Parts: sequence; C-alpha cells; structure tokens
Amino acid sequence: MAEQSGGVLVVGEVDNAGALRPISFEMVGAGRPLADALGQKLAVLLMGSNIGDAARSLGAAGADRLLVADDERLRDLTSEAATAVLTQVIRDVDPAVVLMPGTTAGRDYAPRVAARLGVGLAADCVELAIEDGGLVAVRPILGGRVQTAVRMPGSRPQMATVHPGSFEKATGDRTAPEAEAVPVELHEAELRVRVQETVQGGGGSADLESAEVVIGGGRGLKEPESFGLVEELAAALGGVVGATRAVTDAGWRPHHEQIGQTGRTVTPRLYMAVGVSGAVQHLVGIQGSDYIVAINRDPDAPIFKIASFGIVGDLFEVVPALTAELKAAQG
Amino acid sequence: MALNSVVLVKQVPDMNAVKIDRASGKPVMGGQNVVSSYDAYAIEEAIKLKEAHGGEVTVISLGAPGAKDVITRALAMGADRGVLVTVPDPNALDTLAVAQVLAKQLQAMTFDLLLAGQGSDDYEDNHVGPQVAELLGLPLVSNVNSVEVAEGGHHLTLQRDTEDGRQILEVDTPVLLTAISGLNEPRYPSLKGIMGAKKKPIEQVAADVEPAADRITWSDPVAPERTVTGTIVQGVPAADAAKQLVGWLKEQKLI
Ligand SMILES: Cc1cc2nc3c(=O)[nH]c(=O)nc-3n(C[C@H](O)[C@H](O)[C@H](O)COP(=O)(O)OP(=O)(O)OC[C@H]3O[C@@H](n4cnc5c(N)ncnc54)[C@H](O)[C@@H]3O)c2cc1C
Ligand SMILES: Nc1ncnc2c1ncn2[C@@H]1O[C@H](COP(=O)(O)O)[C@@H](O)[C@H]1O
Repeated sequence: MAEQSGGVLVVGEVDNAGALRPISFEMVGAGRPLADALGQKLAVLLMGSNIGDAARSLGAAGADRLLVADDERLRDLTSEAATAVLTQVIRDVDPAVVLMPGTTAGRDYAPRVAARLGVGLAADCVELAIEDGGLVAVRPILGGRVQTAVRMPGSRPQMATVHPGSFEKATGDRTAPEAEAVPVELHEAELRVRVQETVQGGGGSADLESAEVVIGGGRGLKEPESFGLVEELAAALGGVVGATRAVTDAGWRPHHEQIGQTGRTVTPRLYMAVGVSGAVQHLVGIQGSDYIVAINRDPDAPIFKIASFGIVGDLFEVVPALTAELKAAQG
Repeated sequence: MALNSVVLVKQVPDMNAVKIDRASGKPVMGGQNVVSSYDAYAIEEAIKLKEAHGGEVTVISLGAPGAKDVITRALAMGADRGVLVTVPDPNALDTLAVAQVLAKQLQAMTFDLLLAGQGSDDYEDNHVGPQVAELLGLPLVSNVNSVEVAEGGHHLTLQRDTEDGRQILEVDTPVLLTAISGLNEPRYPSLKGIMGAKKKPIEQVAADVEPAADRITWSDPVAPERTVTGTIVQGVPAADAAKQLVGWLKEQKLI
C-alpha cells in the first residue's frame, strides 16, 4: 500500500445507516488546501461496514488516494477497533498530517491513536493552515471565549480533529481514485465493547448540520410542551429544531439536538433563537450562521449582541404571531 | 460484589469568572478553582455505584502542589480517599503527558471502573480519558449517560447518545468511562460530609515528568473578533414585531 509517503490523510465517517456524514465532505474540504500547500497528495480513509458506494462518492469529492477499511467489525467504529485500523494505515502511508472528524467516534479514537504513536493532537479545530511546512491548528478554549494556535513541530504525523461545521464541504465531482482495500486485523481484546442497539433519534434533527433554517429553543420556553410553538414556527420556515443544553439536560429535548460547544455545530442561512440567553458555549455552535434572529424578553441577553435582528418581547406572544404572519405571507 | 472505582478529577478555574480584557483580547481568570463540570458527574456516579454495590471510591488529580480543593470536595461528596499527583506547572503539560503520569499512578492500583469527565472546562480536549485508556490497555466508552451493573457480576450495560441516537452497549470491567451531563445530578456535600472529609486520607505524590516541548505547543489565547450590529425591535406589540421581522426576512431573501 505504501507507494508514496507523506501527504495529508483525512478520515471520513458514515452514519448508522451507512450514509456519509456531512462532515466527511468537510474533511476533504479541510484537507485539500493543506495537501496543496505541501505540494503533496490527499488520501481519504473511510472505515465501516458495507461502505463501498459511500467511499466512492467521498473519493469523487477530490481525493488523490482512496483507502477503504470495510469490515463487519467496524460497523460501530468502537474506539479500539478504529484505533487499530487507523494506526496501521498511518504506519503504512506515513502521512505528514492526519485530520479526523470531531464526531463522537472521532473524539474516541483520535486521542488513542495519538497516544499509541506518541504524537501531539490538536482537538476540535476550527481553522487549519500550513506554515513553515508544518500544521497550524486553531481551536477555541475556555468555553469558546478565546482561541489558541497549536503547532506540533516534533510530531509525525501532525494530527488534528476537526470541529463539525467549521470547513467548507468539498463539492468536487470527479472520478474517484481506485479504492485500495485496507486489511483489517483485529484481536479479541479490541472488540470488548459491544454495541447492542442504536435507537434512532426522533424528529428531523438528524439534518441539523445541513439545515438551511434552524430554530433553537431555550429554557425561556419553560416546559417541554411549549416546544410545540417552536415546531410550528420551524414548519412555517421549513426549518429544523435544535436546543440549548439547559433544555436537553432537563430532558425536554433529546441530547442529540443540543447545539453548542458540547453539542452540535450548525451553519444555516438563518438561525432563530427562541428563549435562549446566548451563553458563550451556545454561541460557538451557531456563530457560523449567516443570519441570527433572537426573540427574548431580556434586552440585555447576550444573544442580542450577535443577532442581526432581535425582538425584545415575550416569546409566548411573539412566536405565535410570527408563525401566523409567516403563514399569511406565504399564502 | 463490590465495585471499586477510581475517578480522574481536574481542578480548573471557574469558567463563569473568566473575563476578556477588552484592550488585549486576553482572558483574565478570576474566582475560585472548581471541579471541572463533567468530573462532578463522574464522582457522583462512582459514589452511587458504591452505595448500591459496595466498594471504594478513590479520586486522583494531577495538579500543582497543594491543589487539594477538588479532592476535598470529592471526599465531602462521599469518595473514600484521594491522591494528588503534583507537578510544578500542570499547564505546561500536554494531554498525553498528563495521561502518562496518571496511567503510571493507576498501574499500581486495582479497580473495576475508571471514570473521567468527557472533557475539561478549560482546555476541552476530550483527550485524557481515551489516552489513559490507551496507555492502560482498557476498553473505553465515552459520553456515558447511564450505567447499569448486571446482577452479581462485573458486567455493565451502558447508554450514550451519539449523532445517530441512543446507543446501548455492553462491556465487562475493568473499563474506562467518560461522563457527561445527563448521567446524574451531582450532590452537594452535606455538612456531615464536609466534616468527615477532613479525616479521609489524601496522599500527595510528586510526579517525575518532563514536558515533551516539541510534541505540541500552543500560543497565548486571544478572543476572536466578532461584532454584529443588528436591528432590535423593542416595546411594540407582538403582532407588529412579527410583521417587522417577516418584512426583514423577505428583504434578506430568507423566505
Ligand atoms: C462545559 C460546558 C459546556 C456547555 N456546553 C453547552 C452547549 O453545547 N450548548 C449550550 O446551549 N449550552 C452549553 N452549556 C451551558 C450554557 O452555559 C448555558 O447554561 C445554556 O446555554 C443556557 O441555556 P438557555 O439559554 O436555554 O437558558 P438560560 O440561560 O436560562 O436562558 C433562558 C432565556 O430565556 C429568556 N426568557 C425567559 N422567559 C421568556 C419569555 N417568556 N419570552 C422570551 N424570553 C424568555 C430569558 O430572558 C433568558 O435569556 C455548557 C456549559 C458548560 C459549563
Ligand atoms: N490534571 C488532571 N488530573 C486528573 N484528571 C484529569 C486531569 N486532566 C484531565 N483529566 C481528566 O480527563 C478529562 C478530560 O480532560 P481533557 O482531555 O483535558 O478534556 C477530565 O474531565 C478529567 O476527568
């Protein structure tokens, strides 16, 4: 497999149903300029089970090499199995830079791989560049208030996980390079965690990352039942519903709908915050939105500082009026 | 059947007290040092499991000499003993160095469950848990929001949320779990707990570690620029405000 060493290796990911997660295309989008800056090739790795077609569409987005680890035992991408496979690929390919998705799975195996190889790892990066032949990775810390630039001069490879929603998706539509099968060797000890079942999350929230309109509901809604108001508003705008952590922690909405630093990152054309105070940890998850609209009764709520349009008022009056007005406007 | 747990606990500055200096964009820490938020869930879970199944809870923190506050807090909540592994400047270590020091300490201990927070409040790397698991050759389950111990055995049924929904997993101990909010409701130490903590042992061990200077470096943190001046509608009836917003949405071609 090691026909050429160096280059950039990015790792894509498929979801439970075998479809590419949107971040896979961001990975190619993030890796391509780095490979070009280094004057080297971009290799894409996909791990999973029955992923031939998914791998080809990802390869067509702009990979020079396409590596596929297709094995039943990689279906759930548990940390130890993924670590074993990825470490072997890194040893074979010898890339200068490795980018992994900042997904639940990626955050599990990336640190393990770094520890196994004894190299540095920059977590959850929002900007990446090559300077003086090395990776510079920018990441938020201290609750997203500040950023730091991470360098790993003494590490090979230089590795980073990528914060979802931070990079342009590669949209190339070329012929995918021929898939190279990665041998998957796993030991009993690497399969100790057994996923019994995945209960699909409810609602349209699976498309939070790719939605054009997202309505985020906060504690200002007072009780889970009031999310009906948010859902009606979302329906009128053709959007999907997300929530703050205050809401998901209270069990009003499922955890996978949480937006923010410890939740998901959205980059819609329009983000509408309803009864959301705008804590920094929430803001980092929405700051990539083109327009932010806030509805909050507290004129000093921090959300108004980044809102393109804000209404100071009681959401229980404003939201129904808004939904009615939208329906009227759209006929 | 007793279940012995070790919890990795990090002392962090209170994130609510961090201010940004307007002129320099640099963060200014204030307030007290606290238990990193997710670690509180890990401590609580260990104590709950001890209450249900018996066993001992040990907390370990790597920190500056004397940085015992978070251990004392965990002891007041109900942990049995604490170990403070000291280094002169914890902030000079990268996560792998921290994990190496902790792993070395853990090698000399026996436990069924090792718990950590999913990520720390200040650096939010989400690295130390998986890296300790790697160095000790343990299986890892992250983002855990429910733990059940099978009747009479060291077999766990766990739940966690992923991008796809709720996952149900099975694993045998020993295992490393990383905790997230939603796992439980961390208790406040009782007065009795606080008094009792004073009698519980805290061992202090100096770690012998060299920061791997070249492996990873980071620049001084600064605040990114972002200011938007938007239209704010205030003091008008809801119906009028809604009309103005719909007009604006049309102007921006958002509907
Ligand atoms: C390590 C860490 C990670 C975190 N990660 C995240 C994260 O990923 N995502 C996240 O969202 N949070 C996160 N948080 C939590 C965050 O700090 C805030 O606590 C949370 O975002 C607040 O949620 P909220 O805006 O819904 O609630 P609140 O802060 O309680 O705000 C409710 C708002 O509703 C308004 N309101 C009340 N009633 C009405 C009404 N009738 N009409 C109109 N407005 C009304 C109030 O004025 C208020 O501004 C994290 C915290 C920590 C410590
Ligand atoms: N200095 C430390 N001492 C003890 N535990 C730590 C330390 N640093 C990190 N941890 C543990 O690792 C978790 C994740 O930390 P981090 O990788 O920094 O996000 C924390 O929630 C703690 O449980």
